[in-house]
Amino acid sequence: MESFILRFRGAILASILTAFALTLLPIPDQLLIWRPEWVALTLVHWVLVMPRRVSIMLAWFAGLLLDALYNSSLGQHALGLSVVVFITMRLRLRINVFTLTHQLTVLLVALGSYMLINLWVLGFTGNSPAAWLYWLSLAGSLIIWPFYHWAMTRVFMTLNRFDD
Amino acid sequence: MFLIDELSENRLESSLLIKFMLAVLLSVAMILMDYRESSLAPIRTSLNIMLHPLQVVVDLPFRAANNVIAFFKNHSKMMEENQKLETLVGIYAARDQKYHSIAQENIRFRKQLNATPAVQERFMLAEILSVSRDQHRKTVTIDKGAEDGLYQGQVVLAGNSIYGQIYSVAPASAVILQLTDSRHAIPVRNNRTGLGAIAVGSGNTNQLELKNIEANIDIKAGDTFFSSGLGQLFPADFPVATVASVAYNPGDSFMRVKARTMVDFSKSREVILIWRSNHLTVLRAANAEAKEKP
Repeated sequence: MESFILRFRGAILASILTAFALTLLPIPDQLLIWRPEWVALTLVHWVLVMPRRVSIMLAWFAGLLLDALYNSSLGQHALGLSVVVFITMRLRLRINVFTLTHQLTVLLVALGSYMLINLWVLGFTGNSPAAWLYWLSLAGSLIIWPFYHWAMTRVFMTLNRFDD
Repeated sequence: MFLIDELSENRLESSLLIKFMLAVLLSVAMILMDYRESSLAPIRTSLNIMLHPLQVVVDLPFRAANNVIAFFKNHSKMMEENQKLETLVGIYAARDQKYHSIAQENIRFRKQLNATPAVQERFMLAEILSVSRDQHRKTVTIDKGAEDGLYQGQVVLAGNSIYGQIYSVAPASAVILQLTDSRHAIPVRNNRTGLGAIAVGSGNTNQLELKNIEANIDIKAGDTFFSSGLGQLFPADFPVATVASVAYNPGDSFMRVKARTMVDFSKSREVILIWRSNHLTVLRAANAEAKEKP
């Protein structure tokens, strides 16, 4: 039995919409390179906490929307987010889901592959980003994760009072 | 209980792998299709339509905040500004009068010479809804679209200099490719020497690179580059950028010339769309190109 349940119906969709809104939020140029990958973080959160509620198809479609948002090659982020969900689902069985260091390790592997795929597709289509600054958003994602994870749990989930 | 859990976990894993393979194949196929030709444009357009409400909602608080700030702005300051603007309008009205008489004269002369009429232009103001959050793409979304008569390849201005061109159009919104996007290039001309060059976007804010400038060519920091009108897309003689730095490595064939754009892309909230009388030819050329491809 799960000790947490969704606070309301459609909480997962609502959280993904929130992630899109966060992605769209105008922020100063200096902070832009640190911007976390909100949608990927959200998907990882749900896979870790409620793996049965998230499917690869959901991740794929969210990625497609992200491609439209970024004006990147259609399928680039769709591929990346599918990989994120797949890796997290596989690694989830081998870790303690509620330990921060374990979470961060999964995040590092999943988001690392995600950004590597983005890098490959960008290079393939002839828009290689400049140097190592590209990876700052991975660092940003890892730094924001504990707070984001906590906030997501508080906002979208509630304790299961019928736990046995 | 434990056994059932184990079994379902196993089934979950195997179906997961199949779904994952499917997603990967589908994505790779789409990336390849999107790269080779633009046959996925309808999909992109429908996705953009789905995203449009979200973009409007996210933009709303910022617009409201701007309005509130404007409302509470110091009254005396507003009076002062108003006075200044009124004088400006007066000056412009006088200039406009002069312009009208010159335009009339021009039309008369052209009739006498049996020349073709000069380029007629129409303008429209559009507001920027959202800026691309991808660091590698310099694009913005505006609140006007195909319903307002926008078309792909249309020229966009900000103030009195060139901002970019329209990259894709949805019914109620459009995506603009800025001059600084690394996929964008514009033919320019040095105002001081008349040298022609191509200004390619650097992918960094407000920064362009002038390509293929040979080492012995006269160019220095502070030179202003105007659009040259070559390539037929952009109108001629709009200011584009000033040269920020010129560097030459002995052994290279070309200099590295960096230029700052006239438009401050991090600040502008409104852009001006122009319709030139040649936009039909641009449209036809684009259509012909699209027809040739498949």
